[in-house]
Amino acid sequence: MSTYFMFTLKAFVNQLAFRSEVWLRLLGNYFAILIQVEIWRAVIGNGGSASTTVEQMITYSILNTLLFALLLNRVSSKVDGSLKSGSIASELIKPLSYPLYLLFDGLGQSLYQFIFTVIPSLILAWILFGMLPPASTIHFIAFLGALLMALILSFLLGYLVSLLAFWFLSHFALSWTLGGLITIFSGSFLPLWFYSPSWAAVAKLLPFQYLGYVPAAIYLGNLNEAELWRTIALGLIWIILLLVVAHWLWGKAVRRLIVQGG
Amino acid sequence: MSIIAVNGITKTYRQYRRFPGLIGSVRSLFTRQYTEEDAVNNMSFTINEGEAVGYLGPNGAGKSTMIKMMTGILVPTNGDIKVLGVVPHEARKANAQQIGVVFGQRSQLWWDLPVTDSFDLHKYIYKIPDSAFRKNLELCMSLLSIHEFVQKPVRQLSLGQRMRVEIAMALLHEPKILFLDEPTIGLDVMAKDQIRRFLRTVNRERKVTIVLTTHDMKDIEEICPRMLVVNKGSLVYDGSVEDLRAKLGSERKVIIDFRVDPGLLDIPGITLLQDEGIRKTFLVPRGESTVFEHVSRIASQYPVEDASIESLDIESVIRKLYLQLASEEQPISKIG
Repeated sequence: MSTYFMFTLKAFVNQLAFRSEVWLRLLGNYFAILIQVEIWRAVIGNGGSASTTVEQMITYSILNTLLFALLLNRVSSKVDGSLKSGSIASELIKPLSYPLYLLFDGLGQSLYQFIFTVIPSLILAWILFGMLPPASTIHFIAFLGALLMALILSFLLGYLVSLLAFWFLSHFALSWTLGGLITIFSGSFLPLWFYSPSWAAVAKLLPFQYLGYVPAAIYLGNLNEAELWRTIALGLIWIILLLVVAHWLWGKAVRRLIVQGG
Repeated sequence: MSIIAVNGITKTYRQYRRFPGLIGSVRSLFTRQYTEEDAVNNMSFTINEGEAVGYLGPNGAGKSTMIKMMTGILVPTNGDIKVLGVVPHEARKANAQQIGVVFGQRSQLWWDLPVTDSFDLHKYIYKIPDSAFRKNLELCMSLLSIHEFVQKPVRQLSLGQRMRVEIAMALLHEPKILFLDEPTIGLDVMAKDQIRRFLRTVNRERKVTIVLTTHDMKDIEEICPRMLVVNKGSLVYDGSVEDLRAKLGSERKVIIDFRVDPGLLDIPGITLLQDEGIRKTFLVPRGESTVFEHVSRIASQYPVEDASIESLDIESVIRKLYLQLASEEQPISKIG
């Protein structure tokens, strides 16, 4: 395992080359949060509606904006680059599990984002917009668990798309589709409790909700205990399902592999 | 004992048909027509432990494809392949631990990191024990003179420096087999010499089996006693460099310097290659009369200053082999 942590470290160090980006990202996150905060202030008003207060929505927006920076959504473009340049050959001749290599490399980037984007943005947002504390200690622990699930699921979804790219030799359309599905069904902008009952039912069966709605809703305490357990169980089922599919697809994909350029 | 056994290996690439032009590109979306091309066709050979084998053939002969199948990256369409007793693509990770691979056209180093960091990462990836790592690194660094640029980031190295690092890295985990795909491509004479010397040492003294593809015949001459020549995915020659020369290079080149220009010479059985007045170059086939007999016959009739007899160099031998292969194919491709 220590071998794979080396890749995490290496990805982290590599990212340090882009330090100057930190300020821009901070500014970008500030605007993203500001816009959402203003929208919710306008929609709900300062009094708050029966179910949701402005403070809750501000917290929800901050959490989702920062969560987005942590997710491992760049896996497919990394694999795509390797396939197109043929450098996948150099990656496959090492005695390494390719998916684990991708995962730990992605974690290095997330770690970098966490330290240099998420924490400063969080402090800034807390000061400027105010944030609610977690609903309870239990909810906070569950929230951390949900973050882990979000990381794993975002990795698996990106990885699946990259495996499909072995057939299409390009991941663009697939990543675009995945991005669209995440935007609609993750609830990262609009919480699922605002969805019409039929759409909410669909979204609550899909894995995308774990990339936005679930962690934030758990943090805010919007899920009661039964819902919480049901959601976590469903997430674990999705993780196992995607793992099985990814494993099966990997076996097929390697047979399809064409190494470009001699 | 055979360390690599390739038996009836075929690799077929499927190429979807594309139609030219804008309308054609729309049409390509709806067609599933494809052509199949055998990059490697029913190939069989074995390589024994400690051998150094040159794998050569014209561009597009399927050399890289074969190397990639032996290293477990590509899966053959048909046939069996065993490297160190296992099927490489089924036991890719286990196989990777036992082999070293260098792709001349593709770097395995970490582009932004100093050379030493690449070595350190390699140590972790291959789980090399400390003492062995230090010993091997020291040996490779001194034989390939890597010390002078070991602290530089990889992206600042010259091609020759980079290639030396790539080769050193491929040997740190003490692989039993070293695969090299065009390791000397694009290098200057000095760098080539150093790499060849190093590979010869590794093969002779550390008994590492070497399989290398190249277009540079000197690589073969200096490193590999045995060569496999492939063309269009099929094996066309397997044997020593000398045997191939004897088979194809039966002609000798004779250069004769005359004291005065004898004018046009017409000697039956030999061909005039080049005429520079008093210096003439002939191509003499080995037949009933020996080269020496031909030369002495000329010397008895004309005033000869000097004569030198040259056998064809390996490059001419290979050129002849390729030309011969190409002319054999002509009628077939006309029918096809």
